[in-house]
Amino acid sequence: MSLLSVRHLDKRFGGLHAVKDISLEVQQGEILGILGPNGAGKTTLYNLLTGFIKPDNGEVLLDGQSLLGIASHKVVGLGVARTFQLCRPFVGLTVLENVMVGSLGPRVPAVDLEKRAHRLLDQVGLAGKAHAPSELLSYGDLRRLEIARALATEPRLLLLDEPFAGLGSGEIAALSDLIRQLHSEQGLTILLIEHKLREFMQLVSQVVAIDFGQVIATGTPQDIVKNPKVIEAYIGKQDTDYAA
Amino acid sequence: MLEILIFGAVTSAIYAMLAVGFTLIFGVARILNLAHGSFYALGAYGAYVLTTIFKVPLLLAAPLVVLGVALFGMVVERVLIRPMRKSQLAVLMISLAVSLVVEQALFLIFGSEYRNVPSFIDQKYVIGGVDVAGQRLLTLLVAVVSIGGLYLFIQRTRLGSAILAISQDPEAAQYMGIPSDRIFGVVMAMSAGLAALAGIMAGPFLSVQPSMHLLPIVKAFAIVVVGGLGSIPGSIVAALMLGYAETLVAYGISTSWTEIVSVAATLLMLVLRPAGFFGKRAAF
Amino acid sequence: MQLKHIDRGGALVAIAVMAGLPLVFDSRYLMGVLTVAAIYGIWSVSWDFMSGLTGRENFGHSLFIGVGAYAAGFLNTAWGVNAWWSLPAGMLAAVVFALIMGIPTLRLKGPYFALAMLSGAVIMQRLMLIFWEYTGGEEGINGIEPLIRSPLHFYWFVLGMLVLTVVLLGGLARSHWGLILKAIRGDEATCQAAGLNVTYYKIASLVISAAFAGMGGALYAHYQLQVSPQLFAVVTSITIITMVYVGGMSTIYGPIGGALLLTLMTELLRNFGEWRLMVYSVALILILFFLPQGLVAPTWQKIRHRLAGGQP
Repeated sequence: MSLLSVRHLDKRFGGLHAVKDISLEVQQGEILGILGPNGAGKTTLYNLLTGFIKPDNGEVLLDGQSLLGIASHKVVGLGVARTFQLCRPFVGLTVLENVMVGSLGPRVPAVDLEKRAHRLLDQVGLAGKAHAPSELLSYGDLRRLEIARALATEPRLLLLDEPFAGLGSGEIAALSDLIRQLHSEQGLTILLIEHKLREFMQLVSQVVAIDFGQVIATGTPQDIVKNPKVIEAYIGKQDTDYAA
Repeated sequence: MLEILIFGAVTSAIYAMLAVGFTLIFGVARILNLAHGSFYALGAYGAYVLTTIFKVPLLLAAPLVVLGVALFGMVVERVLIRPMRKSQLAVLMISLAVSLVVEQALFLIFGSEYRNVPSFIDQKYVIGGVDVAGQRLLTLLVAVVSIGGLYLFIQRTRLGSAILAISQDPEAAQYMGIPSDRIFGVVMAMSAGLAALAGIMAGPFLSVQPSMHLLPIVKAFAIVVVGGLGSIPGSIVAALMLGYAETLVAYGISTSWTEIVSVAATLLMLVLRPAGFFGKRAAF
Repeated sequence: MQLKHIDRGGALVAIAVMAGLPLVFDSRYLMGVLTVAAIYGIWSVSWDFMSGLTGRENFGHSLFIGVGAYAAGFLNTAWGVNAWWSLPAGMLAAVVFALIMGIPTLRLKGPYFALAMLSGAVIMQRLMLIFWEYTGGEEGINGIEPLIRSPLHFYWFVLGMLVLTVVLLGGLARSHWGLILKAIRGDEATCQAAGLNVTYYKIASLVISAAFAGMGGALYAHYQLQVSPQLFAVVTSITIITMVYVGGMSTIYGPIGGALLLTLMTELLRNFGEWRLMVYSVALILILFFLPQGLVAPTWQKIRHRLAGGQP
């Protein structure tokens, strides 16, 4: 049985049909990539999966249990954690405290919160900045904080939303290694939305391509890249007559 | 019945003048100015001082007071509010503090007895069998003209366009070269002047004492919340609704319940539909 | 921030001084002032717990104070209940109102929440006047029995309740409760996304804040031996907020200093008679401008630093 099963998910915002009949399966322990141009509905999909917004139709099953109608904070409690495109730290709290807040959920074993938070910061590479005010972090460090905070909730499924955006190549490599490590060492199931194709292709085992709210293709990274519909979505049709 | 119609209209007119100024400064600068009631009070007291103590004829005193209070509003904005603009709550606290200072100052200077502000028109008229003071009718007229004038000003002039632009997107307006800060001052001046005018017109028939700023600000806030923060048409509609609701309650139940009408309306609106009837995030 | 020995020492010294002052200066008047200051301390600390930590400033704290006081008044006079029941009754009344007001209004943004709570207090004040047959109108309820006959012992009791308040609320603030409330201040949506039920914590902190305020209200009723609608006034709420600003927002202990300072200042200014409120309001403006971190808490931090020999 898949860890996450999405069936015919549908959502409209007034006239905008943001998510159209999306279905996908995520197996335990895999890294599934989600590809699609801006505005395709990827973040909306995440919002639907995590209970931030309610779908008009469709079903979301985590390990066979329906997530529909469950409040977003409870969804986290069931093991689904996500990061956001715009990292928002808890202003006024230190980096360590930020992670500690994430450790207050029901899935976390009763241990010393501070020690655990330190361990998580080590894991993401923020060890030296534990007591820094979180609002002063650089972009790349904020990303790491987002991930540390998500990991703090002890998730089974991690939804990453464009974690490489705005990062330099060195930072991307480091973050990429971290993701690989989380996957291989902890067996974390990961959903990855990302535009940086090179790293993306090296991380994921399966890809779901989305455009205009619909799934246009699924397959291995190699297949997807050659898929004409995917190419069309990103670049446009081959023989479009612009003069017409 | 006609009584209710007329008196309700007059009440609504005063409330509209207060609410429009309040919603204007909010729509443009995102300031919930709790000192707005003080402008109203200063308008009434200003008219009292100029006419009674300095023996200035009312026709001359009125514009002087309006200008004076407008200037005061500008100064308050520049000196006390603008530095606090990063926090809406700080602005709330500061403007509340200013209103308390003004109230105390008025109390210390004039004491707590009611003062007399002279009317423009002393005679009473009879409309359809109802006795109406000329001053009340004039107030209604002044309200319509001043609000109408303000609305036209915003829609038709360059400064008005700038104001609209800032209310929609302050940052973008600045990129276009519009001096937001200076315009905040101008808008505050207009807002204060309108409130002062309401005080001058209503002073003769409403109570003039140091704490007179409180109820108007509660009602202006109520109207603006119901009508939609930042929307002038919304404020006018809500002012009518509140003015008539109060008049009906005063005639039907008792006057002591009238204050509750506005406060309860505010509370209900905030809970049920915080954007108000016509509210949008930005412009009016 | 954990409690160090310095903090505990400082607190003990402060408590000893507060308790001992009426013994040193045998003045009934001073004791009265200190009792009022202590009650304001309870109100300010309770306000700081919710509004200071979460940043959602509540402009209607007087509502909880008033219902606590009136509950005490009714129980003691109209229903002849033993005065000691006032404290839990006051807390209960305040908790009920906190739920009534809090649940619908806590999802509003900052200033709107502040003003919605203010509206609640104003409505309550009005209602007390409208239903004067039951509530005594302007005059309120008179003839409330004192809780403890000896003013000195009552003062020590109030002081004890203040200490209890700070210990409980301070403890909560230092626990993961405080962390969550501060996170809510930082970013509510992110807090929710971290798996925390933000709505529950907001309402719970308001209820806790209200409970202590109501308890303080009941104490006040048994001190003044009368309650009036003035308790619900905006001035009461603003005074408390000023005390918290002076003391130091979100420090929990700072507001006590603020309460003391402002109560003493009010008394000293009694000679100025009508200028009092004016001075108050101007002081508030000055504090907002020049001392946003407050006076008491930063001063204590400096003293602490020195005493610890420069080590934090």
